[in-house]
Amino acid sequence: MTAAARRLVTAAVTLVLVTLIVFALLVALPGDASGDDETARRLPDEYRAALRAQYHLDDPLAIRYARWIGDVARGDIGASLREHRPVAAILRERLPASLALNGAALAVVIMIATPLGIGAAWKPGSSLDRAGLAATTALYAVPVFWMALLLQWLFAVRLGWLPLFGIEGDERAGGSLARTADIFRHLVLPVTCLSYGSLAYVSRFVRTALVDAAAGDGGRPARARGATALRYVTVHGTRQAAVPLLTLAGFLIPRLVGGSLLVEEIFNVPGLGSLLFDSVLGRDVPVVLALTLLSGTVTLAAITGADLLAAWADPRVRHGR
Amino acid sequence: MSRGRIFGAAALALAALTLGCAGPAAHPRTDARVVIYAEPSSLSLVGNPDNNSAQIASMISDGLVAYDARGNFAPMVAASWDVAPDALTITFHLRDGVRWQDGTPVTSRDVAFTLSKVRDPAVQSRSWVSLFADVTGLETPDDRTLIVHYSKPYADALDAWRVPLLPEHLASKDSDFLNGAFAHHPVGCGPFRFVSHEPGQNVILEAFDGYWQGRPSIDRLVVRIVTSDRTGYESLLLGDVDLMAVPSDLWRESLSSHRAVRLARFVYYRLMLWKIDWNQDGSNPFFTDPRVRRALIFALDRKRFAATVVNGLARPAAGSYLPESAWTDPSIAPIPFDAAEAGRLLDEAGWHLPAPGSVRVKDGKPLAFTMLLVAGSQEIADRIAAWMQESVRAVGVDMRIEKLEWRAFQERRKTHRFEAAMASNVVDPTPDQFDLYHSSARNGGFNYGGFSDPETDRLLEAGRMTIDPAARRAVYWKLQARLHELEPMSVLFQFSQPVLHDPDLLGVTASPVGLFSFTPGPRAWHWAGATPSR
Repeated sequence: MTAAARRLVTAAVTLVLVTLIVFALLVALPGDASGDDETARRLPDEYRAALRAQYHLDDPLAIRYARWIGDVARGDIGASLREHRPVAAILRERLPASLALNGAALAVVIMIATPLGIGAAWKPGSSLDRAGLAATTALYAVPVFWMALLLQWLFAVRLGWLPLFGIEGDERAGGSLARTADIFRHLVLPVTCLSYGSLAYVSRFVRTALVDAAAGDGGRPARARGATALRYVTVHGTRQAAVPLLTLAGFLIPRLVGGSLLVEEIFNVPGLGSLLFDSVLGRDVPVVLALTLLSGTVTLAAITGADLLAAWADPRVRHGR
Repeated sequence: MSRGRIFGAAALALAALTLGCAGPAAHPRTDARVVIYAEPSSLSLVGNPDNNSAQIASMISDGLVAYDARGNFAPMVAASWDVAPDALTITFHLRDGVRWQDGTPVTSRDVAFTLSKVRDPAVQSRSWVSLFADVTGLETPDDRTLIVHYSKPYADALDAWRVPLLPEHLASKDSDFLNGAFAHHPVGCGPFRFVSHEPGQNVILEAFDGYWQGRPSIDRLVVRIVTSDRTGYESLLLGDVDLMAVPSDLWRESLSSHRAVRLARFVYYRLMLWKIDWNQDGSNPFFTDPRVRRALIFALDRKRFAATVVNGLARPAAGSYLPESAWTDPSIAPIPFDAAEAGRLLDEAGWHLPAPGSVRVKDGKPLAFTMLLVAGSQEIADRIAAWMQESVRAVGVDMRIEKLEWRAFQERRKTHRFEAAMASNVVDPTPDQFDLYHSSARNGGFNYGGFSDPETDRLLEAGRMTIDPAARRAVYWKLQARLHELEPMSVLFQFSQPVLHDPDLLGVTASPVGLFSFTPGPRAWHWAGATPSR
């Protein structure tokens, strides 16, 4: 078996184990999704039994899990116990908002943090390096809910430039350009809240990778050949730092489908974070498992992909040296 | 919303993060924009209903009857009804000229079809199905007449017929009712027709021109789904929303905010109460004795708590029969604050104070119990519990607090693994509280504490069977006296619901069941300068 095939098998086994653990934790929680809430009237016993049978709530746990994994293997991720409709339909509604929000946030982080990291690595210890560190660390320390309320107050309430919440206005009239601009205006504040906290981590990571690469075997010969500091950081350093940077990408990409409960709640974005939260509270096992499967798959795919790319970029990794 | 558009927007967002844009366009003063706090669970009118979907359904389709502003039954699609002398048959006479929103007339067969859907377990009509439990058969001799047969007399039989009606010719087409075309585009016979639903964003309804009571004055009802009450409140202040029920902290804030000065405001009492279940199945040595249950309530200065901690947005309750109800005996007052009486009752029950400031003891056991609370949802629960802990400590009772997430809390109550448990509870306007107090309601019902009293059982059964209103009221007054004496569960407070709205939106009234699910409700809303109903 090749190294790549071994990686894929390990990833698949990990995925199954993760869903098994999540399933076990969910069913271990007290209460189930049989529809008891504050206002529900007392259900006739035979009706309650029919509900439980419909969702197999009384079957042995092993059979419930086996049935779920069998359905998944056939491409069916089941129906929500709370909403009584296919989980796939729910994900189709929620995924675009999460992808747009997290994708934009990720792009903002990379576009701001990478130049910051390069600038810092250019002259480590310089005032530029230290100022960048201070600013991004200060931002990292600001709580998201506080920043969100501050931005809402400033840009929506005081200045009235941006909408307070939502991802789209009520009015559907107007061309697609107008609508795109409308969605853009709605995204500005939540994207800002989702991105500022990661600047410190990502810019430091880029800086460290570049500085280490420059100090390593590739850096000195380049300098000896007369490369300028900036050129050696951006061209030679980046090439040397490819492996740690790919690893970073492997960790950042899963955020695309990860939810951010706080930002979604405050800005009223119908994304995956609030779906996961509500589904755990509602003991909606199929939805929680589907979200686990989704984020697990993306995470493993990103990490495995990054590893494979790193092996391709660096023969030492490929040959396990 | 298409994925392409969102991606396009995301790309634009990257390109020009700092671009300033124009503010929102002024909205026409013909729409009413309201807030709900969660996605409706279904738009299928009767399927899988939660409170939000029930409110929306009540705007789209009428039932045979509806609650009025006092919680009594008003004729809607049924113009009148006759109850047979044995109360086993009700004959409904449907109103002429009621049409579905596609123009087809509403017939008695549609009503029969609605019941068949409610009874189908696949439709998940959990809050309606139990109300029809005693219906044994239906007859539809003609389009305007519906005869309903019951297995036993039930004085609140009309309650079930508030169910929003379904058009058979449209709703019978889907094999999977909850996921079919009708559930995504419901059609009813109510004042507003369904226009669109953006999941997580809004539900838009528009006035139905052919509504049997006449077209509502507001053109569109935009129901915004806003998960954060703070966000909803801010958009109300900005004029992006016209009406909203607010929690007490935002109400307090609005009283001193210059930005909220322009808003119209009122409070009303919903049929919602804060109650304590006392487990009296013998698993603890405290609460089988009614004197202990009553003593703990005598120890509470509820008037002071209501006036100070919650700014008067609550009132002490005498029991689960609330003053809004025509079935309530007004002579029964809440148990007053009287610490001396609390001490006397506890002494009488054998719980004695070994020394001042200590915890009472009986047979070597201290009077120390655990109160279960629901964690997270409402901070008012924490405040009530902390105040109660301090109050009962003053009469020598040690109360500990344990907080659980809702489903875990509910599991403990249903399996009777608790000593005392406090939560809010919604009651119906109908006087039948069988499921709260009947000894048979310990399992499956809401008698979590396992209260069992033959006299209470007898009165509850009689109340269900007594059709004559005066005789029935006498039964329920007797029941309330009995409950007041035994205090099987303690209703501490009834909280009021504050509402803020645009001052130009007129005709907004409330009922004990809220702002929507009653008549007239939004049928009567109109903007200043517009006629109330066109």
